[in-house]
Amino acid sequence: MRNVLRAILRSLEISNFELASNGNEALTIIRKRRPDIILCDYNLGDGKDGQQVLEEARDRQLIGVETIFVMLTAENTREMVMAAVEHIPDSFLTKPFTAELLKTRLEKLIQRKARLSKVDQALLAKNYTGAINGLNSLLADKPKNRLELLKIKAEALISANHLEEARKVYQGVCDERDVRWARIGLGNVHLLKKEYPKAEEILRGLISEDPAIIHAYDLLAKVLLAEGRLEDAETILEQAAELSPRGLKRQVMLAELAFKEGDTESAEKWFRNAVKLAKHSHHNHPAIYGGLALSLTANGKHPEAVKVAHELSRNFVGHSEVEFYRATATAMIKANQGELKEAAAALAIAELERDAVSGARASQLGLEMIGVYAKLGQREKAEAILHNAIANNHDDEGVLKQIKQICENAGLEETDEKQVNQIRQEVIKVNNAGVRLIKEGNYEAAIKMLRDAADKLPGNKTVSLNTAKALIMKMEQQGVQADDLHLLRDYIEQVRIVAPDDWRLADVSSRLQRLMANKEKV
Amino acid sequence: MAMDFSDMLASSIHDIKNSLSLISTTLSGMIDNPKNTFADTHQATLLQHQVQRVNHNLMQLLSLYKLGEGALSIDIDEQNVEDLFIECLANNQTICQALGVTLSYECDPMLNGFFDLEMIRSVIDSTIGNAQRYCKARIQLSAREEDGFLVIRVEDDGEGFPAAFLHHGTADEHLTLDQPRATGRTRLGLIFAEKICDLHRSGERKGHIDVKNNCGGLPGGCFELWLP
Repeated sequence: MRNVLRAILRSLEISNFELASNGNEALTIIRKRRPDIILCDYNLGDGKDGQQVLEEARDRQLIGVETIFVMLTAENTREMVMAAVEHIPDSFLTKPFTAELLKTRLEKLIQRKARLSKVDQALLAKNYTGAINGLNSLLADKPKNRLELLKIKAEALISANHLEEARKVYQGVCDERDVRWARIGLGNVHLLKKEYPKAEEILRGLISEDPAIIHAYDLLAKVLLAEGRLEDAETILEQAAELSPRGLKRQVMLAELAFKEGDTESAEKWFRNAVKLAKHSHHNHPAIYGGLALSLTANGKHPEAVKVAHELSRNFVGHSEVEFYRATATAMIKANQGELKEAAAALAIAELERDAVSGARASQLGLEMIGVYAKLGQREKAEAILHNAIANNHDDEGVLKQIKQICENAGLEETDEKQVNQIRQEVIKVNNAGVRLIKEGNYEAAIKMLRDAADKLPGNKTVSLNTAKALIMKMEQQGVQADDLHLLRDYIEQVRIVAPDDWRLADVSSRLQRLMANKEKV
Repeated sequence: MAMDFSDMLASSIHDIKNSLSLISTTLSGMIDNPKNTFADTHQATLLQHQVQRVNHNLMQLLSLYKLGEGALSIDIDEQNVEDLFIECLANNQTICQALGVTLSYECDPMLNGFFDLEMIRSVIDSTIGNAQRYCKARIQLSAREEDGFLVIRVEDDGEGFPAAFLHHGTADEHLTLDQPRATGRTRLGLIFAEKICDLHRSGERKGHIDVKNNCGGLPGGCFELWLP
């Protein structure tokens, strides 16, 4: 394909280009040269595929909104790319194509970027009001691409948490014409509004009409998880994974779900797939190997589990969490083999590693240890972690249900409803009191109260967010103080770890940006 | 993950297509380079034309195979029809010029439709490829709206389709493969086009194809895609 591209580009009299022979080389060139246009074959031979190049380039912010990314596909690869909804290239071009076609397509894309450049910039800065205003003025001109603009507008409305307005946009499009993205959008809005039965109805309808519509499966799985219907969610994800076996996130989700439900055979299968898929992905993580090792030992395959734990250390040299996952897996393997002393020693290492991690992430790591604690009879430690997890997720029904499942599998059934409710009520009480103080304008007291709670529960996004909100409001009214600013950034970071997509996080971040911009002007 | 037949088919087609791309682009380079002299430049162009035919056939085979497996998904969205025609012209103009065929289009610049851009583009490309073999000197693309359908038409000024090929998509009959040796023409392209149109649905309505002759534009074959 490189020879083809070289010839095509030369015939278009383009001389300022570089060719890469594989995904890693492509990323190196992208980092160094910051190209305006990237033409990337999906199939790059061994190593990363085109989709992974796109993901990594976007995630690492090597390419911005102004970069044009065209994915070159053979017919057999188009579905694979389309199945990945988070990172969609600007355009697909089916091979083979002539130089003239490439030129025409690129011209169209360049014009499109130019028209949308203000909107794109606003979206990037999380300035949703600005983006929506920009879209409205484009829409007022009766453009050829009206629906495309409406789609971007609905997404911006969702990001700004104007869910009802987003719903109206999608509904309006659907009333005109049965467009798939608009129906998926409707399903998503109902999910975000926690109107789960409605969301489920729409998404199931889409799937029954077109069983190949991967995005609908993923959203439906989210709906079912939020309702705590773990088994149903697993079934849907399994169907999606069969249709689109290269989605790493989905495989990991499936593996974790199966493991939490005690279905260790399935967990082993999914973790195996995930390990293979993750090999060339920048989403590769020790947790995936850790999960495989734990599934293997649960299925009695101890020697292979030991091997995986070794691979884990070898493949993630220098990774901050490699020791934690290796030690946790080792503790479980040893415990299963009846070598309790060695198990306890490994567990101690895992505890040290966990304690070295701060805040929100530490409580996530804690959950990984429940099984080992239960196995080694350290019930109190397991319960402490579970209580902490409940308090961290006091307003998330889906997660609470999963925590309950973990308890059952670990044989810790005493964590009953009453106890869960009590823990939840305590968090709700403090949180509400803090919010009330914010409303009264008593920021000092609100910050003190919420910080107290947030520092005890660094994994609780709601409490951390409200603390951040109190801080930003105080600064908006009373001016920026270095101490407050420092604290605010810490809390924003804390939320980013547990809930990077929460709209409230985007809200606080953009308010902080505006505040700092105004400060500079003064 | 074990390889099944579909994967093997897909990966060999991928390989073949990369080779075809290289052959095609190299040929273009040879044709465009004034230093190269061909005894008959027409030969090089014919080669180019055949490369595209092989490619269309491969793609149709794979797509039909995947359709049978229920693994073909399409991405229907609003598209501008003129933009589509401009791309079709860009992809086919060189060969048409070499073959002495005038390829043109006619449509309202504001006309939009709902379809999978790459799929419909490939259907039109392969229809143009077919028309190149049977036309005298002209191929014309046009589009209009009728009964709530977007109708895309590819006409040529040749002898027209043989009677056995004529087809009206709304009738309850389906196209079947002919014995290729009997006629020299398989209906693979038509079947592919019909299946792809059939995947385009809106509510109760679905797409279809019409194969006619002498529709009023050019005197020869007239191939229509009806997309809801």
